[in-house]
Amino acid sequence: MSHENVKERELFFGPAHPGSGNFCVKLMVDGEKVLSARADPGYLHRGFEKLMEYRDTMQNAVLSDRICVFEPLAWNLVHAEAVDGLMGVDVPERASYIRVIMAELSRIQSHLIWYGGMSMGIGFDTGFKMAFGYRDYILDIFELITGGRVYPAGYICPGGVRKDMPDTAREKILDVLKRIDEIKMLEKFENPTLLPRLKNVGVLELKDTIRLGATGFVMRASGMRTDVRKDDSYEVYDQLDFDIPIQNDGDAYSRFLVGIREIEESIKIIRQALDELPKGRLKPIKPKLSTKIPEGEIYIRNEVARGEAAMHMVSDGTGSPYRCKIRGPSFLHMIPVLEYLLKGVQIADVPAIYWSLNPCPADMDR
Amino acid sequence: MSKEKALVEKIERKFGVKGKAERKRIWINIRKENMIDLCRYLKELGFEHLSAISVTDFIKRGKYELVYVVWSYHDNIAIIVKSEIEREKPVISSVTEIWKESAQIHERELHELFGVEFEGNADLSELFLENWKESPPFRKDFNWREYVGKKYYYKQDEKEKIYLEAGI
Repeated sequence: MSHENVKERELFFGPAHPGSGNFCVKLMVDGEKVLSARADPGYLHRGFEKLMEYRDTMQNAVLSDRICVFEPLAWNLVHAEAVDGLMGVDVPERASYIRVIMAELSRIQSHLIWYGGMSMGIGFDTGFKMAFGYRDYILDIFELITGGRVYPAGYICPGGVRKDMPDTAREKILDVLKRIDEIKMLEKFENPTLLPRLKNVGVLELKDTIRLGATGFVMRASGMRTDVRKDDSYEVYDQLDFDIPIQNDGDAYSRFLVGIREIEESIKIIRQALDELPKGRLKPIKPKLSTKIPEGEIYIRNEVARGEAAMHMVSDGTGSPYRCKIRGPSFLHMIPVLEYLLKGVQIADVPAIYWSLNPCPADMDR
Repeated sequence: MSKEKALVEKIERKFGVKGKAERKRIWINIRKENMIDLCRYLKELGFEHLSAISVTDFIKRGKYELVYVVWSYHDNIAIIVKSEIEREKPVISSVTEIWKESAQIHERELHELFGVEFEGNADLSELFLENWKESPPFRKDFNWREYVGKKYYYKQDEKEKIYLEAGI
């Protein structure tokens, strides 16, 4: 074959690309133009759905940390709610509030990783360093409350939470929230760097979102006001007051803006939850052997930072679930949505589009 | 009458099936012949978001249970449609014409992990696995301990044998 006649080339974006994570997109390119894209997942496929069939509830609570590397607490909550629902357990109200506080802190730190990753992808290194620095303050809270900085080892578990928050937690959280607010000062550096790289890049119109399976912030950036916390409320979200930020352009910049506004909303939620936290002291939950899950099935939906997370759990009356289907939001965002958005763009825009979808290869492959 | 109750009765009358209404959830069992018609009807009713497709392997009964979860952004209700197919010859019509790309990718995953054939889905190529020759790995009768032992442990490290023999 003569090299002069070759027009199309295949370019691998990942899995060893510094900006891609454990995930690969194969791009067919003609010069600088991407003709088509094909996602190649599977580098993090650990088979959680199968693993959970062989473990009891407490082991699964710990296992559920690992479904998404960036927000273990949110997935803890999904699993815990599924088991609670099947067992018919009423979670103490105080535990429910603590769950919400932890899930929202988890959302903020996940959005900060996103901010950092996106900044790195398009060469805005100040944002990358700042975001990861501020995220560390939240990890300090996680260490104080759960004992683990990144992985809480099933802190949110069936029945409530493993142990109550220490007395110092409230002050510490309020202090950290004040600091997170400081990230707004980045706005004055942001615009010259981010705007030209993100504006009108990777536009997803509202009519295409549902067909492609987009949920969460991707839909909100395309102008749809939807949030599982409001529409299919769980825990105590219906008693808390917060807004659903939306944007109408559907481009990478809109998705970025939605993410930033969500950090503000989460801060609002945590402040309220801390104020309304019922008094009292929760008893620690210890792992019990031979806990049986009653026969039945349940479908749980949650809003995690990346979109709609869901779990379909079937139990046959033994200690382990008979079947546990996990729906990761990135599975839809990183395969159909990404393949659609990458068609016809320039290679230089690929990292910007990729990161604007807040990818997590872990919850895609599961 | 709640929205869920009204909706489940409407579907029961039209398709002659039994449904169960809970808060924001409706569960329906249906024969696989009528499944596509029901799905089309649900799409018309505004259930346009396909949240997930799942398979449950009931090995004792020799059945696979297909589970389709659809969500309406208008009514804010999830309907869970369940349909049984033969486990040994798992074939069912695809719902890609109804829910498009989002259905396509879910079906592709289940084809790989459970071996279900979705008639009418154009692309059921490998997704997570690479050159997989064994039986589909998420079936209940797939012995992953044996597979992992044979494939990785015995050859490389004699000490690893103990995990396999202890059945951990």
